[in-house]
Amino acid sequence: MNRRDILLAGASAAATASVSIGSRGALAQGAKEITIGVIYPLSGANAQIGVDAKHAFETAADLINNAHDLDLPTARNAGLPGLGGAKVKLVYADHQGDPQKGRSEAERLITQDKVAAIVGAYHSAVSATVSATCERYGVPFVCADSSSPSLHRRNMKFFFRPAAHDEMFSGAMFQFLDNLKKKGKKIETVGLFFEDTIFGTDSSNVQRKLAGDLGFKVVADIKYRSNSPSLTAEIQQLKNVDADVVMPSTYTTDAILMVKTMAELGYKPKNIVAQAAGFSEKVVFDAVGDKLQGLISRASFSLDMATKRPMVKTINDMYKTRAGRDLNDNTSRQVMAMVVLADAIDRAKTVDGAKIRDALAATDIPGERTFMPWSRVKFGEDGQNICADPVLLQYVKDSFVTIFPSTVAVAEPLWPMNA
Amino acid sequence: MTTQALLQVLASGLLMGLIYALIAVGLSLIFGLMDVVNFAHGEFLMIAMYAAFGLVLLTALDPIVLAPLVAALMFCVGGLAYLGVVRFAMRAKANAGMVQIFATFGLAILIQGAAQYLFTPDYRNIQTSWLGGKTFEVGGVFLPLPQIFGGFVSIVAFAGLYLLMTRTDFGKALEATREDQGAVALVGIDRNKVFAIGWGLGAALVGLAGVVLSIFYYIHPQVGSAFALIAYVTVALGGFGSVFGALAAGMIVGVVEAITAIVLPPALKSIGVYALYLGVVFIRPSGLFGRL
Repeated sequence: MNRRDILLAGASAAATASVSIGSRGALAQGAKEITIGVIYPLSGANAQIGVDAKHAFETAADLINNAHDLDLPTARNAGLPGLGGAKVKLVYADHQGDPQKGRSEAERLITQDKVAAIVGAYHSAVSATVSATCERYGVPFVCADSSSPSLHRRNMKFFFRPAAHDEMFSGAMFQFLDNLKKKGKKIETVGLFFEDTIFGTDSSNVQRKLAGDLGFKVVADIKYRSNSPSLTAEIQQLKNVDADVVMPSTYTTDAILMVKTMAELGYKPKNIVAQAAGFSEKVVFDAVGDKLQGLISRASFSLDMATKRPMVKTINDMYKTRAGRDLNDNTSRQVMAMVVLADAIDRAKTVDGAKIRDALAATDIPGERTFMPWSRVKFGEDGQNICADPVLLQYVKDSFVTIFPSTVAVAEPLWPMNA
Repeated sequence: MTTQALLQVLASGLLMGLIYALIAVGLSLIFGLMDVVNFAHGEFLMIAMYAAFGLVLLTALDPIVLAPLVAALMFCVGGLAYLGVVRFAMRAKANAGMVQIFATFGLAILIQGAAQYLFTPDYRNIQTSWLGGKTFEVGGVFLPLPQIFGGFVSIVAFAGLYLLMTRTDFGKALEATREDQGAVALVGIDRNKVFAIGWGLGAALVGLAGVVLSIFYYIHPQVGSAFALIAYVTVALGGFGSVFGALAAGMIVGVVEAITAIVLPPALKSIGVYALYLGVVFIRPSGLFGRL
């Protein structure tokens, strides 16, 4: 047997395996179940994101499949009444943070598992390839938590994003900075620090533009290589310019390393305003939380909203029982994305991709019927929810408090963070 | 950039480079001994980091104190990897090189999967070390104690390895086995035993690196991959099989990487290292200190 034979044998074995998975998927559909594909990094550097996401989607499935006394779409009934009480069944796929794997997994979910829709995918770079595949097959893609603005600007008909994107998030950040400046705080310079995939580069592009528009000077513009063994030289450059505000766009591993390196180099930034991602993850605060007192991060969600929307606590408790941690910026968006999708399937009364797509496009859920700070879920022509208002949170004494916008704020911001 | 900032970058690069060298030397040792590239080397590093983490939880001792214990544990892991996997892969009649690659590569995937299953993909870190988070400042240049400790361990390990190779009977047996595997059997040296000890030694060295890293880096089932690639480049740059080469190349890689990150956009910081590597490979395919 030569190498070519081995490869051929491997390929045919893999094909047989996926055919058998496919037939199981088809059987499941006959049994009054709606199969939905869920694509996340379940292994690789961001596997914890996938594990947490799985708990979030199981929570959403519980909300949809069982009766709960909550004013959330699809929660009151067991299953989807529009399809005779059919339950949703989630099929998970692992993209490992790799756009190409995401594309092939999406294809597998669509052709083999016959999923009605796909939800994903955390990494914006992966959401880009998965949504393109969905578009080609006419299967709706609900983008739960990827925030790159470029994603909804590709004239796609099957792409929907209930949560905010980085322009809206960064808009809130700069509006907040501008407000502080007008109140007399010294904020003149910003330092951008971002990872080198779509998420980081898109985020920094928006921030660079907004900084220019509002008269903030960008004194550091550092694009770094993600998952590096060391960030010393990069952080040294940030330290040299000591901007009034450091604005990182980084995933979890780099967030931990970044903060540790800052401490090692004796650099205490005056303020950090983060584009969530790593800075919304509990592990980062477990590891280096003592160095992040006063950190501000954008978010789609805050636990202290429970005072205004009591279902926040109920749903958080449901999630916490599964995951052993509170809902965060990512997991809250994942639960809500699945609910929004289920609501559309319920109204479409079918698993036909085009009809679900139309139902998604017609979605109109008032903010009170979500557990997010959004004023509404209503998609624009491009599939972006235009009413997904972001919030800013500040990390104070082991928890996050909402500090912006004033309509939902529960505390005044501490500024500078390292006072 | 000020001189002080430049000194900072150089010092950080050099300290990191010493740790790179410590990670790489085990790989080089195993290759030099038996011409096998261990593709599970990064995973050995990861096991060592989890071992350090677990032992800290269990004993409440400082990872610095636990370093010899972790190294001993890793010695067993390395020996077992040889006796349980590599020994069989080496018996392949055809395509032996490919079989060895697949065997160690498969071992790497197995270890990664097992780690993710057993330890979950959550990020861990050791916060109880006496060295943790401590920095020492000389004229505006910050030298983190965990990295200084890492550099120190690296130098001591290299010195120990040098003495072992040149002053002991085992070192002579190792050298002889590497020169001629067939001839050593004639003088009564058990080739398998030497190989198993060689693997154990290689794993123990990367085990020390794991303890050092666990004090200032996060611990995760995939953590090995970030360092493994650098270890391969380091070994190739220094010369496959050359222990001294690994030390020199590790320091060169650390410094070149740090300097590239300030000269070019940091996202391109690996370019300097790979450019240097390519250059060396073109001009001197055996690496800087290779004997091949």
